[in-house]
Amino acid sequence: MSEWQPGFEPKILAFACNWCSYAAADLAGTARMQYPTNIRIIRVMCSGMVHPGLVTEAFQAGADGVLVMGCHLGECHYQDGNHKAKARLAVIDEMLSLLGLEQERFRLIWYSSAESERFAAVAREVTDVLKKLGPSPYRRDASEYADKGIIQCL
Amino acid sequence: MPVTIAAEVLSGCTGCEIALLNTGDGFLKLLDRIEIVHMPLLMDSKYFGPDEGSEEIDIPRSDIGFISGSIRNREQLLLARTMRERCGVIVAFGTCAAYGGIPALINLFDNKDLFRRYYRTAEATDSASSPCEVVPPLLDRTFALDEKIEVDAFIPGCPPHPDSIADALDRLIEGRLPETPVQSVCDACPAKREGKGTVQKIKRFLKNARYQPEKPLGEMRCLLEQGLLCIGPVTQAGCSGKSGCAPRCIQARVPCRGCYGPVRRGGNQLLDMLNALASNGIDTKNLPDRLSMLRFSGAHSMLPRQVRKPSS
Repeated sequence: MSEWQPGFEPKILAFACNWCSYAAADLAGTARMQYPTNIRIIRVMCSGMVHPGLVTEAFQAGADGVLVMGCHLGECHYQDGNHKAKARLAVIDEMLSLLGLEQERFRLIWYSSAESERFAAVAREVTDVLKKLGPSPYRRDASEYADKGIIQCL
Repeated sequence: MPVTIAAEVLSGCTGCEIALLNTGDGFLKLLDRIEIVHMPLLMDSKYFGPDEGSEEIDIPRSDIGFISGSIRNREQLLLARTMRERCGVIVAFGTCAAYGGIPALINLFDNKDLFRRYYRTAEATDSASSPCEVVPPLLDRTFALDEKIEVDAFIPGCPPHPDSIADALDRLIEGRLPETPVQSVCDACPAKREGKGTVQKIKRFLKNARYQPEKPLGEMRCLLEQGLLCIGPVTQAGCSGKSGCAPRCIQARVPCRGCYGPVRRGGNQLLDMLNALASNGIDTKNLPDRLSMLRFSGAHSMLPRQVRKPSS
């Protein structure tokens, strides 16, 4: 793991399913919970619709971390969408190693719509982990970090 | 006035040009309407590059430029750029030019690895230093044509079917660009589909398909449903030409290898296929030889260099 610089703020993209995870995020917001602003949420109808191509595209466009958030297993609004997301986890792991990225940069997380505190906690935890991991070599500003010797630019 | 055509081969095997000649009678008819002004493979047109002391590569101006093969060294890069400058329309001819093709498999390794393997560890020859004279210096990896120059049309295939070449030429002569169908090999495949869900694991490549040789292809069960890794679902259709026959590999009762590249430009055959397998409950962790799904489309950074852990 590379040393993180105080100035580094990771960009984290989160695909949150409409029915549980986005609702959890919404609740966290209305309850005015504090969590890092590094997470950018994209609402999708179901975690099962997140094609691994979207995740790799996010990484190739320079995201430092990507999260896919769905309902707890067995509680999917569409019966088995989150099981599909889980099956694709192996594909994403494969693509990450092919891209030369650390497995920690991707996470699949289940929420219920009431778990707003957990949502905020995970947001804090993931941001911490990524700050320690350092910037992704696919970032547009990767060369600046490479100049400082923080990462190896691709 | 006939349409002028220039053609160049970069890092390729010239199989695409053989396919062009395979258009047969159609090609003879075309000869009245086209004039080939430059094609080192068929005719004697010499040129010198910077490594031979000439300022520029001397390729005549033409309406249409066919380039087959990918870009691997500096000379090929210069050739491609000169062709772009001198030709009105540039056609990426064949899978190497369009997606990197077989030569792009080297993208898994860097040049140092390559030279060490070829000049220092080859079992049959004596060790030598890496070549530095006469041969043009290598680029750091293999590029598809559109990574380096602007490309107007793509004719994928390894090699492209003569029908699609003739079709593309027809359109180009009339001043239109050839169209590539957004269809997968499965759309053109007659094999019998009985429904998915029974396959848990993909078989190794050594296993043959189950079929009765005397029965037509339509009675053979889909190879993917038989548990063979057929990457037809993520491969562009077209390899059977206009005859309405089955895809070429399926005709030979072997799985599709993906030589026409991804169904849509920019697609990743490996990713799409793994995704399709995973969402159908097939264990992708133990899939043999996964990277082979990119064996024809490794350019565009699809096949990144493998970072090897230092051996200690």
